[in-house]
Amino acid sequence: MLNGLLRKYFGKSTSKNVAKKRLKLALIYDKLEVSDDILGKLRQDIVNVISRYFVIDKGSLTLDIQRSDDLSALVLSTRIVKAKHEEHPA
Amino acid sequence: MEGQIIVITSGKGGVGKTTATASIGAALALDGQRVAVVDMDIGLRNLDVVLGLENRVVFNIVDVVKGKCKLRQAAIKDRRIDNLFLIPASQSDNKDVLTPEEMVRLGEELHKEFDFVLMDCPAGIERGFENAIAAADEAVVICTPDVSAVRDADRVIGLLYARSITPKLLVNRIDAKMVERGDMLSHQDVVDVLSIELVGLVQMDDQVVVSTNTGLPLVMQKNSKAGEAFCRIAMRLNGHPDLPIEEPRTQKGFWKSFGQKIGLKN
Repeated sequence: MLNGLLRKYFGKSTSKNVAKKRLKLALIYDKLEVSDDILGKLRQDIVNVISRYFVIDKGSLTLDIQRSDDLSALVLSTRIVKAKHEEHPA
Repeated sequence: MEGQIIVITSGKGGVGKTTATASIGAALALDGQRVAVVDMDIGLRNLDVVLGLENRVVFNIVDVVKGKCKLRQAAIKDRRIDNLFLIPASQSDNKDVLTPEEMVRLGEELHKEFDFVLMDCPAGIERGFENAIAAADEAVVICTPDVSAVRDADRVIGLLYARSITPKLLVNRIDAKMVERGDMLSHQDVVDVLSIELVGLVQMDDQVVVSTNTGLPLVMQKNSKAGEAFCRIAMRLNGHPDLPIEEPRTQKGFWKSFGQKIGLKN
């Protein structure tokens, strides 16, 4: 009983919410035919490119695919710590 | 007026396509429509046993398409329900024995002969699926509230749209208790994810097993919640699209429902 009360008011971690979240992601990957593996590599490449110009907090970087009715968007979010001021980035 | 061909499909196996085909077909026939239920699962036929007509199979759909018999010879007339006919699958061939073009030609004949033709599609998205949807005017996608069935339904919906068929969704085997507990996707969740029109909700019902055991159509069983739901779905397909869709609910007393309102588990 207490468990039910806690679940209802303090979190949404019912198994159906987990299922729904997983499903939405799975369908996005299915449609784009992009695997977790490829997204991981993309994420790494993006980190490398941005790191040439900025010092970023790599831990806070998120890479998501968001889907609306007729389009999918790749959304990248990261915290910039500071810009690098080198003429010729490595 | 020409009849309509409705394909019952799902992608995933074991979600209740055959039960739905038999039940909706029987309900439409009980309502006075001339109905053919067609088993498209060549090589793995089952609609005949579900309808209790397995002893009466002589010819099958492959015989009709290949010209070995007439459509009327292969259509088995149900003796309990007037106007219900079964066209069984062949058990010895495989799916490649038929082509979508042949099915389109058979479809023309079926259109003239019946008010409603329900195609029981095999699982999968290969030739068997292509054959089953080739002549279809409409489609009902069956899905149970679980991750794998919803994902496969999404795939099949995409394939149907690609052929200019706008499918309707039937959510089968809903366990209202589990939904209330948050341990099963609700039908709203499934509709959210698949974003297509709903044609009906069917709850989990022990009577489905009893019906299959005995071969007596579910809609003829007394006290079957699933049977009643299938009857309403048949009415929606048969000119009453606005008939309200009832949500499966748990039966509960005042205190139990009060407890659930404030968030306590039942």
